[in-house]
This record gives sequence, structure tokens and C-alpha cells, in this order.
Amino acid sequence: MSAVRSTLVGAVLATLRRDLLIAYRRKNDLLNPFMFFVLVATLFPIGVSPEPEMLGEISAGVLWISALLASLLAMDNLFRADFEDGSLELLMLSRHPLYFLVLAKNVAHWLVSGLPIVLVSPLIAYMLNFPEGAYSTLVLTLLLGTPVLSLLGSIGVALTVGLGSRGLILAVITLPMSVPVLIAGTLTVSQTLEGASLSGYLAIMGAMLVASFTLAPLASAAALRVSVN
Amino acid sequence: MQFSNFQEFIEMGGYAFNVWSVYGMFLIFLTVNLYGPLRKNRQIIRNLKRRYALNAQIPSRSASADTQRPTGSETTEEESA
Amino acid sequence: MDWTWFHKWGSPKWFYELSGKWLPWLVGAMFTFLLIGVTWALLFVPEDYQQGLTNRIFYVHVPVASISLAFFPLMAMSGTVFLVWRMKLADVVVKVAAPLGAWFTALALASGSIWGVDTWGTWWVWDGRLTSLLLQFFLLLGVVSLRTALEDSEGAARACALLSIVGCINVVVIKYSVDWWNTLHQTSSNFTLAADQANGPEIWLPLIFMIVAVYLFFAISLILSTRNEILQREKRAQWVMDLVAKS
Repeated sequence: MSAVRSTLVGAVLATLRRDLLIAYRRKNDLLNPFMFFVLVATLFPIGVSPEPEMLGEISAGVLWISALLASLLAMDNLFRADFEDGSLELLMLSRHPLYFLVLAKNVAHWLVSGLPIVLVSPLIAYMLNFPEGAYSTLVLTLLLGTPVLSLLGSIGVALTVGLGSRGLILAVITLPMSVPVLIAGTLTVSQTLEGASLSGYLAIMGAMLVASFTLAPLASAAALRVSVN
Repeated sequence: MQFSNFQEFIEMGGYAFNVWSVYGMFLIFLTVNLYGPLRKNRQIIRNLKRRYALNAQIPSRSASADTQRPTGSETTEEESA
Repeated sequence: MDWTWFHKWGSPKWFYELSGKWLPWLVGAMFTFLLIGVTWALLFVPEDYQQGLTNRIFYVHVPVASISLAFFPLMAMSGTVFLVWRMKLADVVVKVAAPLGAWFTALALASGSIWGVDTWGTWWVWDGRLTSLLLQFFLLLGVVSLRTALEDSEGAARACALLSIVGCINVVVIKYSVDWWNTLHQTSSNFTLAADQANGPEIWLPLIFMIVAVYLFFAISLILSTRNEILQREKRAQWVMDLVAKS
């Protein structure tokens, strides 16, 4: 067994498995971002207007902003518990590149906090009178976009992991960075409704995902090295 | 010259508020960012002078305790002063 | 290649003394350019056929806005220098540039929106340039608040250097995505520069004077804050003690 774990792939898989297991054992944390997403989306019809036409028009934006806020809320658990019990330091002492371990943690985190949001989004979209014919686009953009939000957010979390109270700092750092994703996601949906060809928009979102997948863990790993030592 | 008298210059062709508020903000901006650092410089030198004098009075403190204190707490102390 | 010029920048003392010699010249040049520029812009620039005398706002807005775009590249470059060569002076620049950049960005936003009141009829329009400047303003505040929150000087320095680099890449992405968003939403934006519309030297010459003046002001302000920061950080150095004793 130890021979398996000493390889890079083994280390990545072990990190992934460990994080998923911890998330599974703490079901409360698992449910939090998901519940937050549903709650925020519910506030819009109450706060703006319950009229179906109005809701249909803003629904794509509402879903995206709710997903953005939910992912911001969820980001807090990414490194905090590991930082507090010292396992983060052990992870950094490992002889494998921190880049891949951070990436594994990100993937695990997205699987438990991002994916449920993507899966429930059609239901919330229906409740918000989301226009027919764009459901698949919505799910696809969220599927491409929420990992980017997690990856970008992890940079901010890694920079502030040592801080006691960091709520607002995390938001000020992360939210402006998420704007390109928000723009790409909502524009893709609205362009689908106007009958435009999707491939170009999805290509841009895909490019964002690839770029953040390769670059963001680099920044997160460097940030962890700064803030943990 | 675009204006024939002073009154016209102040009125700015009906855009007095827009033009003068922008130039007013610019002036405030210049003063704050030039005078502010200059004043702070004098303040720092004054604080340091007091501090060195104090250290000279208590030789043991300047020799040992001062170098051991963490830098973080000292900067905040001075900014509040 | 001789690298002594580069290593000199690692010495705060050298910078403090050199900048002290430069400052009077810089301030003199700045006030000269500023006086000529402001007088020319306010009194002699001809009325714009579309905007009337509001074109005077441009002579403040354009230089300030153009500099506020330079802050993230500046901070990212200094941050890289700090992370690679551990040059303390570079971190000082990252530290003092962030709040100064927030000032510049705020002024660019305010002057842009006051200029827009007349053209758009409201104080705020979600115009591409204004929106990306606003987001840049938030990012700069993020760098400032990260520095305040992480009191430990070495860790804060590296964290802020890193955030500046990430932020710099991000500002570019934000700029392009906001432009894209803006063209697709087709807000009526007539935010073309006065200089684009009429190309006579009586329009752009005073603009150049103002741009030079504001650039000089930027340099002076940055140098002044850097000097203050150096004094505070080097307070145990002998040269600071000598300097304080002399003053």
C-alpha cells in the first residue's frame, strides 16, 4: 500500500479520497452551500417581483449570482479545517508537488459543493420561470463555470487561511475575479435564447476552465507556502 | 482666450458644476497625496527622535529589549500616535 | 553585464538619498507642467461642438484614468522583483502603490461619471470602461485590506506580491470580458475621447501637458510614500539615526 501512495498519482488519489471521505462524514458542511444556493435564489422572487415574465428575464443572472455566492460561502472549508488541525502542513511537507495536491483538494471540494448546485439548478430554474430551450445551456455553463469559481476562490482562501476573521477580505479578493465567469455564463445563456450559435461561447468558457485549471493551483500553492509558514 | 470676462469663465457655458467639481476634486486629490506624505514624514522623524532620546536615557532597553520586540506591534503603535 | 545598478536598488539608504536629490526637480517640473496645462485647458481650449465646455473635464480625466490602468502592472512587476530577488524596496512599492492606485481609480471614476452626467443624463451608466475601472478599484481595496489584515510584515509582503500578480492577470481578463459584455448589451455609450473627435494641436497639446504633470505627480507621490515607509522600516539602521539627529 505504501508503495502505491508514494507515486504522484497515488498521492493525488489519496488526497481526493480523504477529502471526499471527510465531506461525507460531515454531512452538515455538505449541505450548507447547497441550501445557501436555494435560499438566495428564493429571495429574488420575493425581493424583486413574483411576476413570471420579469422572473424569466432575470432568472439566468439570479442562478449565476446565487451559485457565485454559494461557492464563496463554501470556499471557507477548503483549507481551514486542515489548517487548524495541522494536516495542511503535512500536505506541504510531502515530497510531491503541492500543485497537484491543491488541485486534488480543489476537485474534491467542487465535487461536494459545486456539483450539487449544478444538479439542482434546473429545478430552481423552473421555479424562476426560466425560458424553455436554454436548460441544457444553463447546466452546461454552470458545469464549466462553477469549477472556475472554486479554483479562483481557492487563491483567495489560500492567501487568507491564517487569518482569524476574513469574511469580507475573501469577498473583496474573490468576487471581482469571478466577474469574467459571471459574464461568460450569463451571456452564453442569453445568446442561446436569441438563437445564436453556442460553440464560440462554450469555447470561451472552456478556455477559462483550462486556464484556471492550470494556473490557479499554481497561485494557490504559492499562496499556501506564504501564509502557512 | 475662450472667455471675454470673468463671469463667463465661472459659468463655463452652463457646465459650471461639472467642470468645477472635477477640478475641485483634482485639487483636493493633489493636496492630500502631496501634503499628506510630507506631513507624515515630519511626524515620523519627530517620533523617531523622541524614541531615540528615550532609548538613550535607558541604555539597557536600547541594547536588548528594543531589538527583540516584534516589528508588527511597533508600526501600529506609531501609526496611531 | 554589470549588475551594480540593479543591486543598488536593493539599498533603501541609496534610494532615500537619491530620491531626496531628485524630489525638488520633480516637484518643480510638475508644478510647471500643471500650471501651463490647467491654464491652457481651462482658458484657451476651444469649445467642443458637441460637448460644449465640458470638454475641460477630459484634461483631468484622461491623464488620471490612464495612470490608474498602470497600477496593477506596476504592482505585479514590483511583486515579481520582490518574490524573485527579495528586494525590500520592491515590496515597499507594492505596499504604497495600492492605496495610491485606489485614489487614482476613485478620481478617474468620479470624473468619468461627472463627465457622463451631461452626455448620458445620469450619474452612472454601466459603461464598459467605468465598470472595469470599478472592479479594478475593488481589487485594489482587496490588496490594501489583505496587507492590513496580515500584520506580519514578511508574510504580508509575499502574499500581497502574489495577489498583485494574480490581480494583474485578472484585470486584463476583466477588461476584455467587460468589453465583450458591454458590446453585446449595447448600452448607448458615446464615451469617445475629445481628442478622437478633433485632432487639432490646440486640443491635444494641453492634454500632453496635463498627462506629463499627472505622471510626474504620480512619481512624486509614490516616492514620498516610499521614503516614509523606508524610514519606518529602517528605524534601527544607523543612517536613519544620523538622519533624524541632523534634522
